[in-house]
Amino acid sequence: MVKKRRLPHLLRLLFVFLCMNLVWYIAYLLMNHPILPSPGAVYEAMFHLGAKDVALNVGYSLLRIFEGVLLALLIGLLIGLLMGRSPLWNRLLDPVVYLTYPIPKIALLPVVMLFFGLGETSKVLMIMLILLFQVIISVRDGVKAIPESTYDVLTSIGASAGQKFWNVTLPGALSVILSTIRISLGTAISVLFFTEIYGTEHGMGFFIMDAWLRLDYPEMYAGIMLFSLVGFVLFLLVDVLDYKFMKWRR
Amino acid sequence: MSSLRNSGLSIKALQVEYKSGQKALGQVDFTLPEHGIYTIIGPSGSGKSTLLRAVAGLLPDYEGELLFNGKSVHDQETLIGLVPQNYGLLPWKTVRDNIRVAMKITRPVGGSREAIEADITHWLQSMGIAELAGRYPLSLSGGQQQRVAIARAFAIRPAILLLDEPFSALDAITREALQQIFLDNWLTHPATALFVTHDVEEAILLGQKIVVMPSAKHDSPEILDNTAVFAMKHEKKRDSDEFFEQSKRIRKVMLAKW
Repeated sequence: MVKKRRLPHLLRLLFVFLCMNLVWYIAYLLMNHPILPSPGAVYEAMFHLGAKDVALNVGYSLLRIFEGVLLALLIGLLIGLLMGRSPLWNRLLDPVVYLTYPIPKIALLPVVMLFFGLGETSKVLMIMLILLFQVIISVRDGVKAIPESTYDVLTSIGASAGQKFWNVTLPGALSVILSTIRISLGTAISVLFFTEIYGTEHGMGFFIMDAWLRLDYPEMYAGIMLFSLVGFVLFLLVDVLDYKFMKWRR
Repeated sequence: MSSLRNSGLSIKALQVEYKSGQKALGQVDFTLPEHGIYTIIGPSGSGKSTLLRAVAGLLPDYEGELLFNGKSVHDQETLIGLVPQNYGLLPWKTVRDNIRVAMKITRPVGGSREAIEADITHWLQSMGIAELAGRYPLSLSGGQQQRVAIARAFAIRPAILLLDEPFSALDAITREALQQIFLDNWLTHPATALFVTHDVEEAILLGQKIVVMPSAKHDSPEILDNTAVFAMKHEKKRDSDEFFEQSKRIRKVMLAKW
């Protein structure tokens, strides 16, 4: 059944993509100015990019996102679980989260740069900071939403805390974790762009700004398209994970 | 000592209080012989579920003693199989995985993978749900989920089996089919069992003795002998005179105590 529905879905996506290109082409004709090249020119520029160059830039960006997401998940899961399972820790940490959550994390960019320099650390840290609070809050609420009775049978047969965590708490909280990642991934990619403007010679952000400085507009647009593609692939990845781990809800 | 070692489940002066100091369970005293099955019947709020939760080790605070063959019920050696009213299945695990998890926790060492899998298949078959092994609980009906929960409870080969109104959310036909299946399996694997119900008929059909819980906490429960009905063939119980007499007797106790 899934396969039957997948084909029209793909066709629809393709159709929308073609329409967007058409709008772009009409805008190009109307504007008739080098700051907006035609889709054809951009795809040609994309084609001419060296495969090695593209792989290096995309690879760097993906690595930074991956590291940031992983760090945020590890720390967020730990704190979120602690807050979800222990009323004492929740009372202690709740005000901390409550006070720091509304701070626009992007405003911390200069602070992070001051403390950790312009290198990789500050880039990964920024992505982590953006994601961390959302992960903490959603893990805590997800863990709290698991009814106590779900643990009863395992408790009565003498399961250890670790066994209860692997079999109940983690899978029970996984759906909220996945939806949080899906939502915050978009923000993380935007922040990645900002952090790649400075202090690096690799990454999609650097690539786009570099083309912009060289007034190579087709290449700049090609970079934007590639960046979008990376984001799109990441979204698909979360969907695949969701499909694999959330089968039980269907 | 031998009498102690095979004395079954003895509940001595068990009392449970809520944090507010109010009594959740008045004093309960009875001994359930090893490989015996008692049904517990009582009005809502009489503490029958509380009694079961105390034995299951889900209540940290209670007064009194819970012993199995002379040792604490919550000893590592005494395995307890619990069948809660809401089935207690993990929704993110398939039927087979639900049973496998329980078995792996209770038998951490020994037992090859093949033996475990064969055991799971055996229990699914005896519950009549072999074809549901790969399904997730949310896609099953209540009756099917309860069969899985019972299969899981039997599969870990518990010393004590606790059932908390397992069939009360099911329709009459499903309930009768499951009572029969449960009893057949219990007779071949007679774990020491406590069966909580609010259905008089069910209490008579499934218990060697029937514990009638009082609604007042200062009262003590009345224990009725039911061996005459229990010894009959399951299909014949309902139509027998003894069944009729027994239900009259229970109703009389209910009138006095509830």
